[in-house]
Amino acid sequence: MPARSIDLPQGTLDLLILRTLSLEPLHGWAVSERIQQISSDVLCVQQGSLYPALHRLERRGWIKARWGTSENNRKAKFYELTKAGRRELEIEQDDWKKLTAAVSQILETS
Amino acid sequence: MLHDLLFRLHALTRRRDTENELDDELRFHLDRQTDKYVRSGMSEAEAARRVRQEFGGLDQVKDECREARGVSFIETLVQDLHYAVRTLLHSPAFTAWVVLTLALGIGANTAIFSVVNQVLLNPLPYPNPEELLAARPNDSLPNLEDMQRQTNSFSSSGGVNIAPMDFTGNGEPARVHAAHIDASLLVTLGAQPMLGRWISPDEDVKGGPRNVVLSFSFWRDFLGSDPYVLGRAIRLGDNGYTVIGVMPKDFTLPEHLADVFVSLWVAYPEGASDRDLHSMHTYWRLKPGVPLAQAQAEIAQMDHRLAEEFPDTEKERGTLLIPLHEWLVGDARPALLILFGAVGLVLLIACSNFAMLLMARGMARQRELMIRASLGARNGRLIRQRLTESTLLALLGGAGGLMAAKAGTTLLLALKPAELSRFGAIHMDTRVFMFVFAISLLTGLLFGLLPAWSASHGELAEALRQNSRTTATGVSRSLLRSFLVTGELALALILLAGSGLLIKGFLRLRSVDPGFNPANVITMYLQLPGTRYLQIPLQTNFRRELLARINAFPGVEAAMITDLPLAGNYVDHRVVIDGQPPPAAGTEPEVQTLSVMGEYFGVMQIPIRGGRDFGAMDREDQPRVAIVNEAFVRQLLRGQNPIGTRIDWARSNEPHQWMTIVGVAGDVKHSGLNQAVDPAVYAPFSQNDEAWRKFMTLVIRTRVPVAALIEDVKKQIWSLDSQIPVSDIQSMDDLLAVSIAQERFNMLLLGSFAALAVALAGVGIYGMVAYRVHQRTHEIGVYMALGAQHRDVLRLVMKDGVKLGLLGIVLGLAGAIALTRVMVSVLFEVKPTDPPILIGVALLLAAVAMLACYIPARRALSIHPMTALRRE
Repeated sequence: MPARSIDLPQGTLDLLILRTLSLEPLHGWAVSERIQQISSDVLCVQQGSLYPALHRLERRGWIKARWGTSENNRKAKFYELTKAGRRELEIEQDDWKKLTAAVSQILETS
Repeated sequence: MLHDLLFRLHALTRRRDTENELDDELRFHLDRQTDKYVRSGMSEAEAARRVRQEFGGLDQVKDECREARGVSFIETLVQDLHYAVRTLLHSPAFTAWVVLTLALGIGANTAIFSVVNQVLLNPLPYPNPEELLAARPNDSLPNLEDMQRQTNSFSSSGGVNIAPMDFTGNGEPARVHAAHIDASLLVTLGAQPMLGRWISPDEDVKGGPRNVVLSFSFWRDFLGSDPYVLGRAIRLGDNGYTVIGVMPKDFTLPEHLADVFVSLWVAYPEGASDRDLHSMHTYWRLKPGVPLAQAQAEIAQMDHRLAEEFPDTEKERGTLLIPLHEWLVGDARPALLILFGAVGLVLLIACSNFAMLLMARGMARQRELMIRASLGARNGRLIRQRLTESTLLALLGGAGGLMAAKAGTTLLLALKPAELSRFGAIHMDTRVFMFVFAISLLTGLLFGLLPAWSASHGELAEALRQNSRTTATGVSRSLLRSFLVTGELALALILLAGSGLLIKGFLRLRSVDPGFNPANVITMYLQLPGTRYLQIPLQTNFRRELLARINAFPGVEAAMITDLPLAGNYVDHRVVIDGQPPPAAGTEPEVQTLSVMGEYFGVMQIPIRGGRDFGAMDREDQPRVAIVNEAFVRQLLRGQNPIGTRIDWARSNEPHQWMTIVGVAGDVKHSGLNQAVDPAVYAPFSQNDEAWRKFMTLVIRTRVPVAALIEDVKKQIWSLDSQIPVSDIQSMDDLLAVSIAQERFNMLLLGSFAALAVALAGVGIYGMVAYRVHQRTHEIGVYMALGAQHRDVLRLVMKDGVKLGLLGIVLGLAGAIALTRVMVSVLFEVKPTDPPILIGVALLLAAVAMLACYIPARRALSIHPMTALRRE
């Protein structure tokens, strides 16, 4: 574990989950592993908060779940992106880019 | 949106599956994570610990997942309900006590609300009732017809005049209430006959066919619900009428009960054409969209026009249009609103007790709550749990209240005063059920929230830290409890003061001397039928013969009079006094006129204050005589010696036929005990010159039980004339009771609310002191071990209760002075701020509060120091 990892800003967890699932269907544990790996351990996903987020996204119809067999041969719940989820991901990615661009512009010009 | 809904439903219906899946999913995650750590070299135990730490509380995560899935609301509710039912069943005494308290409070409210609902909120049983108006004063049919023709604001209007008619030829002759109507009345009210048809306008003329429409009850009771009744002939008065219609069961006239409906023009053409006979109640239906003010202006114009056209009779017109509902509710409204307000205060007190009981229980269950909190239950969740419990309790209380109200309305019906009786049976409709549900829910949520909120506020943490049972009194909670107790006492005092005032007023009213002795007096109403008693001598002979026969009964004195004290419906005449300058025609003073025969003053025990009683010499061929009451002498004779003064009715054309006043009788409260006495003139029936006075009340003073006598008297009447209907048989005591029934109703109701309030407030303060004693057992034990006297211990535990009690009483007095002002309209000769009453109720409540403090405080004395200390 790195000396200091950053807590996720409010609302970004959904975006990260959607992005992660856009590559391939994954189960919950893999999602948390993937986020940690890709962000080189900078982002720390509170594991307890991952599941409520997954269930919320499922309720909204952005991801759907099915039971499958995991890489270590156990029954696991896999999530995959739906069409609506893909659209939502694009919108949120766009928004995020605009937001970060604006914020960094302000930070640089000050 | 749809997806969301389906998802929630799906989750709900497969609750158990979803729950298992959630378990599996989280378990998989934890296993994988543990695996990962073990593979990186940790021991199994260490890995497991690490994983749990990272993951957070498993139950909490599950809760959040359920919430995220959107099923949690209902699911949690079910869970909480389960839990609540279990805990309530666990402490049946607590549950029963709370439900009882709330049932009383809610029940009283529901009973009164049922009446308010029926009387004030329910619309009149006519279509578009908001368009209906009543006109005051009564009017004559010629005037009504002129106004109908010459106004534009109304879509229709009609009039009715209730007159007794004899229905004969069907067993005992019966006096029925005939509605003399004009044909447009039914159109105005918007009703339809159930069978047949209504009287048409072309039949509603002088000499029109004798048709009659029956009320449902007349059709059922007298004609056996004959389905072929249309076209049948019945005898009313001395005439045959053809039945052309039957009204539906739920139809009533706005202000009267009527058995049969006949055209005024047909039944009583002289009355129909008499412009001066202002006896018709008129009802008006506004055209849609016409404001009342505009209609009133048009009517005022009409009044003016009629006054100019008929100066002899119509000079003093001043017709006022009143929305019908407002007119009917009239007197009942202030009393009902006061009762409704009072019963609301009772509910507040019951709710305060409810809150206090919940708080005491909350304290007792602190440990349980502590454990649940430390297991990861969030504050909000705990509050919600307790709210579920309190709401469940409140709903149970509401159900109990509904049953109490059912019994209560039966009681109200038994007490029902005349002003409310026209509204028929009081029943519970959906609105009443909604009301009960709403107040129960509100009670549960609001008063459940108070203690739940105060308990979750910091207290748990404190309790956890101290983890001892000695001094865990949260400041906020103790404040809340004090506030509730003080409030309860203040409210109870306001109610006590209000009912004290009513009781005092009622006692005053009842002790009013009616001017006669009502004991052992029975009265009945007779009417000489139609055409056989047209001349006065025939009437006089009948009366004289009847009196002679009844006086012959052992133990009976008899008398007759046209109008009876307290029975209502007086004949007023204008009177002129010989020797006084005659006032302008139409402005002569009005007096009540009563014709008597026999020992009237003796039977009624009305004292003769001066001069003499009527005697056998005052016959038809003797000089005309009269007796006046003291109010007459006071108000009209201006110091003139009444005896020998001559008076007469104000007559427009004939020469005066003076009556000489031979006596002065004591004042009698003819119009009601709370009314002023009007001037009255008594004259002998035998010297009567008004042949239309064919009705009379027979008044009999008895020395034997009355019931046995009634049939004999009836037989005597019918042996003289079998066609005479006898009705309204009642004792004078009953008449007196009926005349103060409204006041009695108000007093009994407010009185019982006050008693309930005092009892509840007493229980409240008792509970508080008992709780304190229980809480401070240890402290008291130490205190006693140190040698404290009983008195000191009592002072210690009673101090707070007494202080709060006194504060509540002082606040209540202030509240009573501010609030009882609304009662002015229902009080009789009592000021709303009556010092003896206020002081009296304050003392009474103080005594109750002291007692409620003392009983639990005494228990403190029995605490044994050693046991108390050992409990630590």
